[in-house]
Parts: sequence; structure tokens; C-alpha cells
Amino acid sequence: MTFAIETSDLQFRPGRGFEISNLNMHVPSGSLYGFLGPNGAGKTTTIRLLLGLTPKQSGTITVLGRSMPAGSVEVMARTGYVPERPHLYPTLSVDETMRLHSAFHARWDTTWAEELQRQFNLVGERRIASLSKGETGKLMMLLALAQQPELLVLDEPTDGLDPVVRRDVLEALLGYVSSHSATVLISSHLVHELERICDWIAVMDRGRMVAELPMQEFKDGIKRLVIADVARAAAEPPFTVLARKQSNGGEQWLVRGWTNGMRDYFARGGGTLREVIDLDLEEGFVELLRSFRGAA
Amino acid sequence: MTRPSRWRALLETQWKWTRGILLLIALTTFAIPLLSLRASAGARDDSIFISSMQAWAVGYAFAAAGVGLLIGVLSWSYDHRLRHVYALSLPIERWRYSLMRFTGGLALIALPVATLFVSAEIVAHSSLVPPTLHAYPVALTLRFAFAALVAYSVFFAISSATARTAGYILGAIGLAFVLNVVLRAAGSRIDLLGYVSDVLLATPGLLAVFGGRWMLVDV
Repeated sequence: MTFAIETSDLQFRPGRGFEISNLNMHVPSGSLYGFLGPNGAGKTTTIRLLLGLTPKQSGTITVLGRSMPAGSVEVMARTGYVPERPHLYPTLSVDETMRLHSAFHARWDTTWAEELQRQFNLVGERRIASLSKGETGKLMMLLALAQQPELLVLDEPTDGLDPVVRRDVLEALLGYVSSHSATVLISSHLVHELERICDWIAVMDRGRMVAELPMQEFKDGIKRLVIADVARAAAEPPFTVLARKQSNGGEQWLVRGWTNGMRDYFARGGGTLREVIDLDLEEGFVELLRSFRGAA
Repeated sequence: MTRPSRWRALLETQWKWTRGILLLIALTTFAIPLLSLRASAGARDDSIFISSMQAWAVGYAFAAAGVGLLIGVLSWSYDHRLRHVYALSLPIERWRYSLMRFTGGLALIALPVATLFVSAEIVAHSSLVPPTLHAYPVALTLRFAFAALVAYSVFFAISSATARTAGYILGAIGLAFVLNVVLRAAGSRIDLLGYVSDVLLATPGLLAVFGGRWMLVDV
């Protein structure tokens, strides 16, 4: 497997109270990689480090095969970036902004940019300062897509957008990815959004990587087990117990790495597994964070 | 839509940010020679004519400093406001981006320089200038252009720095001012500000081009 983005022991401490610590991240080429974490987890800082917008303190970063930040010019030529906050010049119009952006991107697709502009209902003469949040979000996505990047780095691209705009933006993104086999790193705290579109998921909290695995594995592997006769269960389970709580005379275990073949574990120990409950990504995410914070 | 060159695209942004103030300054540099001529016309003798023209000369220095200050600061103001995120996300080296912004600003400064030259040429060919005196439109224009370049370079460099660096520079100037007041209050003969202004404004100081006589018409 090749990686579009790879970090090793990335370290960054901007001041007291917060640090990115020993971050090891692997974004497979061609994947739609969801970067999940609560507000303040360090997602935006990590993205800025990856793109060389903030200088790292130690560790290595490789993006599209180039070491960062040394290779940032080449990497930015091949990367579409949508930052968390609007970064466009407010006095320029939509047309002027597209013109400015096109000047810096050799692979800029004018026809498609104009098509997206029509699709997104962006009036060319409107000034950026007068655009709504949704229109600004659509314009930033338009700019990132029309430069035809190999990698898209999207920092909360749909945050605060209404459902209709969000759907438009995601449709345009998925359309591009399906036709260009691009890699997408999309950060969000909207769990369901990532669940719908991503095939890889990473969870970050307090500057640390909590989990990084294929989405299906994440969804399949996290379960809530309802167990009776817990005392007789074997000592070393073949899965990871994230949390345990008493429930109706038995216990409920939140586990990770579960497969159906592991039912034997309870049978061997004389315990009784009453029920295996599937958790959706949001429940899994919340429980994962809870157990991570508990352990920390 | 055709793709412009990178330099032209950046120049267009700078033009958009500065055009109002730039047109005002261009109008000013066009007006100063004509107004000075109008005010001096009909003088009893050459020395009065020259003195009258001289009274307007400070306007050239102020216009040069003003255009340098405004274009230098406005070249960076929106990048600062956006914390340079857009500029840094463009696939271009930082030094090259700064150079493009710098040369873009220079191209804009050419406008008030050109209007000054046209106006100075009109004065030079005016019958209101006594035939015993000479007009120096090219010399005045070159001096104005050089002064504007110096002012623009200084303010462009300061503006390109981070807010913290700009704060250090302003802090140093403020400290020198306070120190000067304290020294004078203590009866010291040391004139720190006088010394600094001598160093900067006297030849070959950095700002020497702003000092001395700015004469369009002289003997």
C-alpha cells in the first residue's frame, strides 16, 4: 500500500496546554480518509503541519512522496486545500478570485470551473465579502476541485452549511474523486457525514491519534456485548475491552476488534453472551474517545 | 476566461486594493506643479518666483512618502488580515511571491510618477515661467520616483514582517523618543532624535532624498 500522506513521530507544541504528540498518520493513496475528532483535538493544526503552513518541531512528514515542508511548492501545486476558515480576499469578486487562483495552477480546468460555478449558483460579480457562508464554502470547494489536484485536504468543509449546500458540495467532491482517483483527507466532527463517504477513518483527540483503520473494520469491530455470568469469563479476551458497566445483573462491554468467531471465548469460560449490539460510527467514536480519555 | 500570468494576477489584486488612494495621489502629483506655477505666476522678480515655487516643494516629498507608505502597507494588508493562509497555500516560493508583490507595487507607483512628469512638462513649456529661469521636469520626476521607491521599499519591508516584528520596530522608535525626552529633561546635551534624523536625512543617509530643495523651476 502506498500513502499519499505519511507522518512519523510528528511533534508540535505551540504553547502551554496543547501539543501534537508523536503523531503517526498514514493516508492511503486513493482513499477517502476521514479525520475525526472533537473541537480542539488538533485536526486543523495537524493539517497545517502537513501542508507546511505551520513549521513542525520534530518528526517527518511526507506528502505525495515529497518531504514537507521542503517540498511544499510542488505539493501545493498538486493539492487542493479548503481551510477551516475562509481565506479568500474579501474585496475580490467571485470571477476575480477564480482568475487569481487559475493563474497559480497549471492544471486549472476553466470549463469545469465555469460549470461548477453555474451548478453552485455563484454570481461572478458578487464580492467575496458579500457571499453567505454556504456560498463561500462552495467557492472554496470549486477552487480546490478546478485545479484538478491529486490530493484534496478539506478542513471541516461543510461545517455550518445547510443540508442542501452540504449535499451540493459533497456531490461535487465525490464526482471528482470517482473520475480522478484522487486522495481525500477530510476533517470533520460530523460523524455521520464521514461515515457516509469515507473508506478510512482516523480519530484524533488531545493532539494524539486514537485510532486509524479502514472504516468497515472500525464499524464492524466496535460492538456492545451484553453478558451474563461475567465472573466466570476467561481472563484474557481476544479483543480489546474499551469500557465495562453493570447492567441488569450482568455487564455491558464495549469492545473493539470483535469478530463472530470470538463467541467461543465466553463459552470456554462458562460465561453467557446474550447479545452483540452493532454500534454506529458516532456511538463507536464517542465510546472510543471516552475510553481513550479514561486511560489517559 | 483566460488564465493570466501569476504576476499580472497579483498586480490586479493590488490595483483593486489601492486604486482609490492611488488615483488620489496621482491627481495630487499632477496638481502640485500646476498649482505652484499658478501661485507663482506674476511674481515681481525671479527670486520671488523661485521662493513661491519652493513653498510648494514640500508637497513632492510628502506625496512620495505617502505613495510609498500607502502602497507598501496595502500590498500586504489583506494577506495579514487573512493570516497569509491563501498566499501560503499557493504553489509558489515565499520569496518569489514577495518579489511579485513588490514589483507589482512598483508598477502602481509608476502612475503618480507619470502624472507628475506630465504636469511638470506642462509647467516647463508654460509661458508663465520667466524666460531667465530653467525648468527641470525630468530631474524632479526622477527624484520623486527615487524618493517614492525608498519610502515604498521601507514600508513594504516593515509591512511584510509579522505584526510582532512591526511592533518591535515601532517600539524601538517609541523608546528612542521617550529616551530623548528623558535625556533632555535631565539636562543632557545628547539629542538622540536629532542625531537619528541627521543620520537618516543628511547625505548619504537612507532618507536623504527627502531632504533639501525639490525645485521644478530654478536658476
